[in-house]
Amino acid sequence: MTPLLELSNVRAGYGHSLVLQDISMSLHEGEIVCLLGANGAGKTTTTRVISGLLAAGSGEVRFAGNNIAAVPAHRRVDLGICLAPEGRQVFPNFTVHQNLLIGSYSKTARQRRAEKFEQVYGLFPRLAERRAQKAGLMSGGEQQMLAIGRALMGCPRVLILDEPSLGLAPKIIIDVYETVAAIAKLGLSILFVEQNVQAALMIAHRGYVIANGRIAASGTTAELQSTSLVQEAFLGTKTGTGRAPPGPARLSAH
Amino acid sequence: MDLIPQAFSDAVLLAGLYTLMAVGLSLGFGVVRIINFAHGEMIMLGAYGAFWLFTLFGVDPLISLPALIVVGYVVGWLLFKGFIAKVLDAPHINQILLTFGLGLAIQHIAIILWTGNARSATPVYATSSFLIGDVLVVHGRLVAFAVAVVMVAALIAWLRWSETGLATRAVAENRAAATLMGVDVRRIYALSFGVSCALGVATGVVVSFILTITPFMGFPMLVKAIAIVILGGLGSIPGTVIGALVLAFAETFASYYLPEGSGWAEGIAFVLIIGILILRPRGILGEAVET
Repeated sequence: MTPLLELSNVRAGYGHSLVLQDISMSLHEGEIVCLLGANGAGKTTTTRVISGLLAAGSGEVRFAGNNIAAVPAHRRVDLGICLAPEGRQVFPNFTVHQNLLIGSYSKTARQRRAEKFEQVYGLFPRLAERRAQKAGLMSGGEQQMLAIGRALMGCPRVLILDEPSLGLAPKIIIDVYETVAAIAKLGLSILFVEQNVQAALMIAHRGYVIANGRIAASGTTAELQSTSLVQEAFLGTKTGTGRAPPGPARLSAH
Repeated sequence: MDLIPQAFSDAVLLAGLYTLMAVGLSLGFGVVRIINFAHGEMIMLGAYGAFWLFTLFGVDPLISLPALIVVGYVVGWLLFKGFIAKVLDAPHINQILLTFGLGLAIQHIAIILWTGNARSATPVYATSSFLIGDVLVVHGRLVAFAVAVVMVAALIAWLRWSETGLATRAVAENRAAATLMGVDVRRIYALSFGVSCALGVATGVVVSFILTITPFMGFPMLVKAIAIVILGGLGSIPGTVIGALVLAFAETFASYYLPEGSGWAEGIAFVLIIGILILRPRGILGEAVET
């Protein structure tokens, strides 16, 4: 079966610095996949390439079988690629409701707005209580909920969450991930980026480990948990040795 | 006779006009992050448009206003597509030089087409007036104030309640996040620049029957508009209103109460720019802007 989202040999970066050396990964319909890695490994850059904020230098990004390299970022939302970006990036001077409203700005989403509002306010009762509040005045956890809710308003086929646990207290992280698990039950395909291994492995089916802009390991959650590669990737023990990082170590064949 | 009520009334009416004059500049900067140094020339073009339609065809400026607003929007949209879009990622100095150069070019085209002669549209209400107590109100100034209030209110309503207005604010707040919502940032830029120029042209239409029209009228108005948006904080509409009130009151009271006041009044905008840049660079209500 064709994966819903597939990256093959993607290279990308900013100016002269190449962040993603070689990324190949896939996400199937209904799957929850996590992308693990240390700071600066290339996780956020990967989400930027998928959402179109950053163009891939080479390699292919395919969505539902089609190469989407030529599709500009704002059109990818129409396809159903919705990202809750790193650092939440809610519109601080908008109310909660306005943030959600603009979340369903795309043509496809606009037609299903009422239904989506119901769904998001159902998933996040807290947001419903605070609908008239300015987003900038909410706590980090609430803003994260809003960022996820806003992405859901766009009628995603793939929901991408970039470090939803960033800067949150442990108890709030659990809240966030319980909600993500609830969203997953809706049958959405979810790709999420994490540094927090425990949180990630709690809900993911599969995962990839990124180190130095390459996929260093991949496998099911259980396989990843049992490998030292995860630890190595996180501690960055392979950096700065002057030799090329090793190729991707496949822990399991898909 | 006590001059304070008269000065107060003059200042309030002037503040309305100043708000309209500056709000377009503020919108353009808030969204596109480029200060349009040709904004004064948009005002000048609006003034000439209203003047010629009045003089040649007898069309009242208030009647030609809607059509000229549309023309202003189209001109702004074309200027964006033809020029501004090319320098969006260029250094600020390039952007400034480009819009400044566009302003000079437009100004000189106006000189070639219409000479440097001073003109003025003269509908009846331009000079007629009425008294409230001791306070003299010129109809033309009141009309200008009313137009300004309606236009600024319409702008605020559009930004608050329309889908595109919301997208425009989203782009102003965070363009990457707006893109992730499916907003075509380039389209919003072109549209905001068009609206910004349309507001400039609207300002020109109302000043056509208040001030003297020359090809050079744009620059002093640009300086005042810049003073107002710096005062209030670039990109903030309530800030623009406050900035316009401050400048209008300062100018009016200076011209009433200082010896040779009307001469000094014209320099107040500069004093305010320098003062605010030293004391509170982000403006009264403005937020720090990342560059």
